[in-house]
This record gives sequence, structure tokens and C-alpha cells, in this order.
Amino acid sequence: MIELRVRGRTDRGLVREENEDHYFIGILRKSVDVIETNLEVQDAVRELGRLDAHLLVVADGVGGVSGGRRASQSAVFSLATFIGRTAACHYDPNVQQENEFLERLEHAIRYAHEVVSSLSTPGRGPATTLTMAMIIGRRVYIAHVGDSRAYVRSRGRLRQITRDQTMAAMLEDEGVDTKAAARLHHVLASAVGAMEMTPTIGLIDLDPGDVLLLCTDGLTKHVPDEAIAEMLASSPDPGPICDRLVEAALDGGGSDNVTVVVARADA
Amino acid sequence: MIQKKICMVGVYATGKTSLVRQFVHAKFSDKYLSTVGVKIDRKPVQVRDQDVNLLLWDLEGRDGVQDVQTSYLRGAAGAIYVADGTRHETVVQVYELRDLVQRTVGEIPEVLALNKVDLADQWTVTKGDRADLARHPWHVFDTSAKTGDGVEAAFHWLAAAMVGAP
Repeated sequence: MIELRVRGRTDRGLVREENEDHYFIGILRKSVDVIETNLEVQDAVRELGRLDAHLLVVADGVGGVSGGRRASQSAVFSLATFIGRTAACHYDPNVQQENEFLERLEHAIRYAHEVVSSLSTPGRGPATTLTMAMIIGRRVYIAHVGDSRAYVRSRGRLRQITRDQTMAAMLEDEGVDTKAAARLHHVLASAVGAMEMTPTIGLIDLDPGDVLLLCTDGLTKHVPDEAIAEMLASSPDPGPICDRLVEAALDGGGSDNVTVVVARADA
Repeated sequence: MIQKKICMVGVYATGKTSLVRQFVHAKFSDKYLSTVGVKIDRKPVQVRDQDVNLLLWDLEGRDGVQDVQTSYLRGAAGAIYVADGTRHETVVQVYELRDLVQRTVGEIPEVLALNKVDLADQWTVTKGDRADLARHPWHVFDTSAKTGDGVEAAFHWLAAAMVGAP
């Protein structure tokens, strides 16, 4: 069983007037608190009290000063609400349950998309990126839309789990001239509340010592991966790591809102 | 609707993600991005008159067979082993991959995709290799994620085998 410590930080940055990012860290519990028992299977009984799941979300709103903030707030809140109401967290899911759970994750993203889309004329109003991780035991289920990112630092190596859903990335995939495509690095090809919304779903298993990072592009546009990797290893406590990441983004220019959520797995 | 989990298994850069992308989205990219963990896609297909939802688990390809995380294989109803026909060592490695899958999930319907058949001038699969491969119960397809050759056929054969209608 893995113990998880999670912290998050957000900052308006040095240029933007308002913080359009939102984040969420929650624990979903479906547990049994054992008051008394004469059962002899003590280990199994102890596990009954640990049937929880962590839900981590970051979102970066786009589309005007208050619109972007409203979009990311609505998306995060509706996602957390949907998952809180519908997702049973399970200790040892069987395959059928896991398949259903993966579908529910996608439904949760689509629900958030409907909520954000309802804020204005579909495709013309604000939109938001959305990167979420649901951690059950050592398994991390990841759903992703837009250009916020999920990383994992494992065995000394930082790896980007998600792929940016930007026009630049899409055109590069299509083999279009990368210089031309680079000019579109800030244009989202898919976002919650936008005309195009294509969630990707994935998963990864954590080992003790691994660190998971969710972040908005306010971090990655100013802090290179090598520096992120070093900071993720700089403390066993995710709180100071978050502080260092945000500070580095501000030192690098702070041109955008910056949000980070760091989860460290320990044995 | 019936759901069936398929695991895409192979060492790094054999084209697992590209095969899924071609099958699900009818797209191909030359750009190589390694998968981290598992990427999951869904594709509904019809087998005879039965609707089947394929859950495609695209497993991260690592350097060696021993690095494949067996926890991702649990519950697989079918497997597609992917070898790069231009890298002979990846063709040899599929035997070990098959052993690993069998030890983890038992006997399941299997496909071997000899991928990158579009690179015919660099092809390293010999007649001897084919004879060896034919001694195993998997169904072998020459595939190209780039041109789409053999891709639909490989996935549809496996879908049919998983629901007992090959």
C-alpha cells in the first residue's frame, strides 16, 4: 500500500490581472471504520479503513478576463461534483469495474464540458484546459484536455505523461513545418467548453518514491523539464516543492498564471 | 454492449501507438513520442451482428521484455504483440513477451503484428523467421501503421476471436 502526500499552489503571476487557474485536491472515501471486532484477519480489517482515492485537478481558463476564470472554476467544480456523486472508489477493482470506471472518468470530463459550454454560446465563450488524476492504491488514472500537463518523476527520471493538445502539436503530428507550427503553440486544439473537446485517458502505476506533478502552462513556459525534475526531488514534503516550482515560474518571468499540484508516493 | 480489453505489447518504438492511432483515428504521424504508462482508447466494432467495444490498452514499450509491467495486463481478453519488421531483435523478443502475457493472464486470443511493412527495403524478417512464428498459435499479420495495410484486418480478426467467432 502506498501513502500519498499531496499539496497544491496557485499564483496570479507577474503580468496577468487575474488568476484564471483553479485546482482541486480531494479524497473520496468509501471506507469502514472498525470500532471493535474479534476477527483474526487483522491486516484485512485494517485495509477496510483505507478504501480512499485521491482526486487531483488543475485547470487553466481561457477566453477573456472573467470568462476564463469562470470556465476553469465551473469545470473543476462540476468535475469534482460529478465524480463525488458517481465514482465509487474501490480497493481492488475487477476488470469490469475498472472498465466502467474509465468510462465514468470520460463522462465526468464530458459533463464538465457541458457545464462550461452552457455558460455561453457553444464554441464562442470561455473554455479551459483540464488535467485530472484519480489515484487509487498505486494506480493513477489520468484524464486530460488542453495543454496543462501531468508529469511523473520515477527512478530519477522526469517523464511527461500527457501530450499537449495544441494546434502546434497537432500540426507537428501531421508533419507540417515545425517553424510554422511553433507559432501556434498557444492555440488549443481541444479544450473544455470549446467546439473541439477530445479527452485522452491513460493510467500509470506509482512506485514508492515517485512524484506526480499536475501543472498549468504558467509553469512549463518558464521552467525547463530539467529544473522541474530537480525541484521534484528537492524535498520529501510536497509543500516546499510546490513553493519552489511557483517561485521558479515567477523568477522566469511569471507571464501567466501558474498552478501546480504535487503528489508524493511513499511506502 | 460487450467490452473486451486488448493489450498492445511490444518493446519500444515498434509502432504500438501508431497502430492504435491508425485503427481508431485513421491517422499516422512520423513523429515518435514514447508512451508513458498506458494510453487507453476505445473503438466499437461489429463482429457478425454483435456490437463489441474494444478497449485498447497501449502499453509503454520499454527496452526489454523484463521491463513490461504485468499489472497492466490483468484482465486482457486479447493481446496484440507488435514487432518492428526492420529491427530483427524485436521479432525475436515477441516470444518472451508471449511467455510473459501467458504467465500473467493465461491463454487468450493473440495477434502478432509485424509492423512497418511499408519499409520493404529494410525488412529483416526471413522465411526461417516466418516458419518459426507459424509454430505458435497467434495469427500473424504484416501491418503498416503508415499506410494502414493489415491494420483493420488484425484488429477485426482479434475481435472476432475474442467473442468466439473467428
